[in-house]
Amino acid sequence: MSTAGFLLFLVSAVLAIVGAVITVASMRPLRAAMGLLLHVVALSALYLTLNAHLLAVLQLLIYAGAVVVLFVFVILLLGPAGEFAGDSEKLIGRVMGGCSAGAVLLLTAFSLSRHDAEFGPVGADYGTVEGLGNALYRGAMAPFEMVSITLLVAVVGAVAISRVRTAREKASDAADAEARKLANAGGSN
Amino acid sequence: MTTGLLLLTTALKILFILLVTVGAFAPMLVWAERRQSAMMQDRIGPHRAGIRLPAGAADAFRASVLPMRLAAAASGAVGALLLLLLAFAWAADDASWLPVSPLELTATGVGLLVLGGILDVGSKIHGMLADNGGNISLAGLLHPLADALKFIFKEDFVPPKADKLLHSLAPIITLMPAIAVFAVIPFSDVLYLEHWDAVVPRNGVVTGDVTAIPLQVANLNVGVLFLFAIAGTGIIGAAIGGYASDNKYSLIGGIRAASQMVSYEVALGLTIVPCFMIYDSLRLEAMATWQHDNGVWGICVLPITIAFVLFFTAAIGETKRIPFDLPEGESELVGGYLTEYSGMKFGMFFMSEFIEVVGLAAVATVIFFGGWDLPFVYRDGIDFPGVWDAQLASFVMGVEYNGAVEGIDATGIALAHWGVLALGVVGFLAKIVALIWFQLLTRWSLPRFRYDQMMQLCWKGLLPAALGNILFTGVVVLLGEGAMQMAVWSGTFVVVGSIVFFFLPALKRDPRVPAGAQPAAS
Repeated sequence: MSTAGFLLFLVSAVLAIVGAVITVASMRPLRAAMGLLLHVVALSALYLTLNAHLLAVLQLLIYAGAVVVLFVFVILLLGPAGEFAGDSEKLIGRVMGGCSAGAVLLLTAFSLSRHDAEFGPVGADYGTVEGLGNALYRGAMAPFEMVSITLLVAVVGAVAISRVRTAREKASDAADAEARKLANAGGSN
Repeated sequence: MTTGLLLLTTALKILFILLVTVGAFAPMLVWAERRQSAMMQDRIGPHRAGIRLPAGAADAFRASVLPMRLAAAASGAVGALLLLLLAFAWAADDASWLPVSPLELTATGVGLLVLGGILDVGSKIHGMLADNGGNISLAGLLHPLADALKFIFKEDFVPPKADKLLHSLAPIITLMPAIAVFAVIPFSDVLYLEHWDAVVPRNGVVTGDVTAIPLQVANLNVGVLFLFAIAGTGIIGAAIGGYASDNKYSLIGGIRAASQMVSYEVALGLTIVPCFMIYDSLRLEAMATWQHDNGVWGICVLPITIAFVLFFTAAIGETKRIPFDLPEGESELVGGYLTEYSGMKFGMFFMSEFIEVVGLAAVATVIFFGGWDLPFVYRDGIDFPGVWDAQLASFVMGVEYNGAVEGIDATGIALAHWGVLALGVVGFLAKIVALIWFQLLTRWSLPRFRYDQMMQLCWKGLLPAALGNILFTGVVVLLGEGAMQMAVWSGTFVVVGSIVFFFLPALKRDPRVPAGAQPAAS
């Protein structure tokens, strides 16, 4: 890795960690979302140091442009009333969280010390649009299509579940209820 | 290329982009829009800011108008006469009776014509200054400067209960992506440093050890996707600005802005997929080169013609301008997410809106209007159909036309590499101005939509139309060369037809205004 690349790696790695800490530590939801945004942007810079340009842009496009925006949108809809009132100070939860974070760090350090991976050279079209396109549409056509169909089914299902009843359906339901009421009234007489 | 050269050229390119967009286009745009709105609402408008000149200046300017106009007329008449002489000589194909060589005659004639034009404009400016009491106001062009000064010195008010950090962060998050868009816009063809004053071949292939400098800040493999990634982060600025203002109008404005921009971003991305399919690349410079090499602007290929209409609509929705300016609809939301902003923070929101307008024009220029490509301008010079231009050039230069003269191409006029590139930059900027003009026209022609109408237009209008257009493009590309030719012919027909039907009637004088009584531009 070149000097400039190493500098970019250092800066973006530090920013990614800072963003992640802000995300979990901030009491205000919108500041947490901004922390997530910082983390996502820094992560995309990390992909740049790995020569994965397309992945870096997709990271921005999907996570910064869609996921963070969705979070922000939900926070806006809840409004200031949705702000977190305060912590209930559960010690056991904090201890467990700290322990698991330490365990993950230890495991990572251990596995890195056992398998010291070198940065290998990559091909000319590695990480480019052409490279990914060839891999996706030539190498893995069938799985790709199957995944698309599955996702389409999931989208249709989500729309079907979340669909609000139309005015006409409401009117016909109301008419049914009215008819039942009338029938009941007739029966009681 | 050495690192030093790379850094130097990149810095120069960034400087150029910033000067053109932030320094020139955005203030001009503010001025043009305010002039227009003042004209429509019959009020004074941005006219007041000016530099006061000493007493007596007005009389001096008034006295200088007539002499300058006479000098301009004389210079122009002599210049035209000289060029007429040249035309006679060329028609007779005999330059021997001319007192000077054709080259000197041309230079003098063109020089006198240009001088006359400059003098004429100068006399008009002097007349304007005299009418203005000797104050330099330049038709209000100094007003943006006064506006900027006002923004800087105005109180920067933050609502007491607002989140101060996010309140300050929002304008920055909005402004940065608006400027970053220009990183991938190519403003001319590739510069070959060693050949800067030589003539490069028409196909652009230069041999030997050359330093190729793309006239574009970042030469990215992902190209257009970068634009969408950047535009996506711009959404967050308006949203958190609305939330952090501690104001219900701001909050509703922020929610509207976020949902509108997310919706239109989806449509925007899908509308230009046909362009990728036909240009066969995601790179903006490759798109411009495709249009140059094939001799046809994208707008004249039928699927891309349709894509342009959809793209422009979606892009105006994405920039949140009239008729899609629901997030700041002042009749219902005071100022939307801008309500609690003042001073330079408001100025940054304001600035980013105008820079987005310029950015949209630049992107549309590259994708649909050939970028730096100009008709009859090739990499080796200017070449009109036929050989008359080469014959004229050789006559002017006083050499025999034989199809291969030094400095003259077989069929056209050769230009040095830097000249061709400069012409490209000029053409690119001219197209941007034209598209900005079109956006201002749209802004003043259409009323604001209702929110549900706007959302329906996006999800039920633009989105299905864009998907259908992708399918249509796929069919055209699959059918091959013949279908492509058909698409070019029909696209050209549609473009020329719509210019004739929509724009030519606008040139006619408004019948309600009697001749000679045009409304005063105030």
